[in-house]
Amino acid sequence: MKRAAAEIIREYGPFPGVQEVHGVTFDGQRVWFASGDRLNALDPESGKTVHTIDMPAHAGTAFDGRYLFQLFEKNIQKVDPKSGRVIATIPAPGNGGDSGMAWAEGSLWVGQYREKKIHQIDPETGAIQRTIESTRFVTGVTWVDGELWHGTWEGNDSELRRIDPQTGDVLEELAMPSGTGISGLESDGGDQFFCGGGPSGKLRAVRRPKRSSKTG
Amino acid sequence: MDSLITAAARALATGDPLGALNRVALRNDPPALALRGIAMAQLGDLVRARALLQKAARAFGPKEAVARARCVVAEAEIALVSRDLGWPTKPLEAARVALEKHGDWVNAAHARHLEVRRLLLIGRLDQAEHALAELDPAPFPPAWLAAHELVIAGIAMRRLRTKEARAALAAAERAARDACIPALLTEIESASRALNTPAARLIARGEERPLLLEEVEALLASKALVVDACRYVVRNAGTTVSLPRRPVLFTLARALAEAWPNDVSRSTLLARTFRAKHADESHRARLRVEIGRLRKALRPLADITATKDGFALAPLRARDVVVLATPVEEEHGSVLAFLADGESWSSSALALALSASQRTVQRALDELAEAGKVQSFGRARARRWMTPPVAGFTTALLLPASLPGD
Repeated sequence: MKRAAAEIIREYGPFPGVQEVHGVTFDGQRVWFASGDRLNALDPESGKTVHTIDMPAHAGTAFDGRYLFQLFEKNIQKVDPKSGRVIATIPAPGNGGDSGMAWAEGSLWVGQYREKKIHQIDPETGAIQRTIESTRFVTGVTWVDGELWHGTWEGNDSELRRIDPQTGDVLEELAMPSGTGISGLESDGGDQFFCGGGPSGKLRAVRRPKRSSKTG
Repeated sequence: MDSLITAAARALATGDPLGALNRVALRNDPPALALRGIAMAQLGDLVRARALLQKAARAFGPKEAVARARCVVAEAEIALVSRDLGWPTKPLEAARVALEKHGDWVNAAHARHLEVRRLLLIGRLDQAEHALAELDPAPFPPAWLAAHELVIAGIAMRRLRTKEARAALAAAERAARDACIPALLTEIESASRALNTPAARLIARGEERPLLLEEVEALLASKALVVDACRYVVRNAGTTVSLPRRPVLFTLARALAEAWPNDVSRSTLLARTFRAKHADESHRARLRVEIGRLRKALRPLADITATKDGFALAPLRARDVVVLATPVEEEHGSVLAFLADGESWSSSALALALSASQRTVQRALDELAEAGKVQSFGRARARRWMTPPVAGFTTALLLPASLPGD
């Protein structure tokens, strides 16, 4: 397993009216983050909030290429990012104990915080397809280039972890500075992650380690 | 935090404890227990709240020191406002250190503030003042600021610094208005009322009148020789003769001061001091001995001259002699007088000071406690007694600024 310190490239926020950042996702241009009672769309270049949708947004956020998915209380809402309209609601796999969420390969991947699990679920019905066990509390979840990454957060310590999606084994660890928590997590599809900073109300960009040869 | 915890915490933060409970009522993980505990505290079920917070504190993992510490702080505050003064202080101290170590300065300050309020409540004025001086109230939210100013007012009132007490109460009121907590405002009002109610009685040249705290302060700053029956001391211009452990001498001093500038007959002194109706020669001999002792004790302040019938007080420098007594002399007044110094006393120390049996003192304390005039904390031999503080700490819960588990 590889261990390294996380390299923070840029810090966004705190943002006016935002006490805490929960879920984070990326639609190709804008970073969406959940802040309790609304979703915020941020232009990562300028650092400006360009759009908001008022809706309960208590934990993880995901984007399937067209719709946003947002955890609230015990459910997941599917939302049209343009109109803010709720298209569908499905039950969350952790019954409210859910934290991070990602979309990949036709499934939603939902972290169950204190249970240290990641569930793969059907985005239409919420049915659990399989469950990966982790050894730490799971916050944000993201997929990039076939790599499954999740955030961990226990007390003052937070890390980014790449795990084997089959076995749950930890393949790589990026340790955040002490006291810098990771709530939501999303890759930009390239060489950086966007990390929600929980009650700090900040969003951070962290560099993804370069690969000498592409690994699976 | 997970989805439901976030939702519950948001409900709690907006003053909706029932909404918070609805979301986490059936969950037993530590953040849910902590949220339920705080919600129950806000709803007034302090017993249940403490149990939940204790359970949460135990259940947080080794890496979740901050979350655990916040639970301990909340539990300590509940103990304080429930007047459970026997709770152990070590966990609170450890929690404060943990919060400081992890940079949670606001809650660390809250923890220290709880320590100060407890010290004031159990009558450790010196320690309370000392600890208060180390506290920077600048980052406090308004509700905490109000409580902080109340502590300052409480100490100032005990120390007879009325101007400072008034200023602190005014500041407390402003902060409580900002915080919009009616319970806090009520406590500040009752503290202010204490400043405008007679705090003592002045007995001078055979006349009596009630004194406000401000007048007491002015009197003690004046050149008069004051025989202070509230604190069992005799003082004049900064010199104090302390007699709390010599009640016979104090009774004699008081009798002489009440009669001043006239003398007091031997029979009157005997009746007041030894409750002797028909004095015999042995009583007279004892009186001579006690007057001799008092003369020695009061040497820096006054002389005692023998007259034809008895004795008279002759102050060395003061032009006036007065007695300061409690507003109402009541049953067990002597016990109350000792406790009025704001310090905490063991019943054995009181018995010693009053030259009474421990049983008598205990009976008096039990009756006074029933009447709500004294309170105790601690158990068995560590039990201490004191009068309820005039002001200085609230019964309103403020609770940690960030929720356990953030």
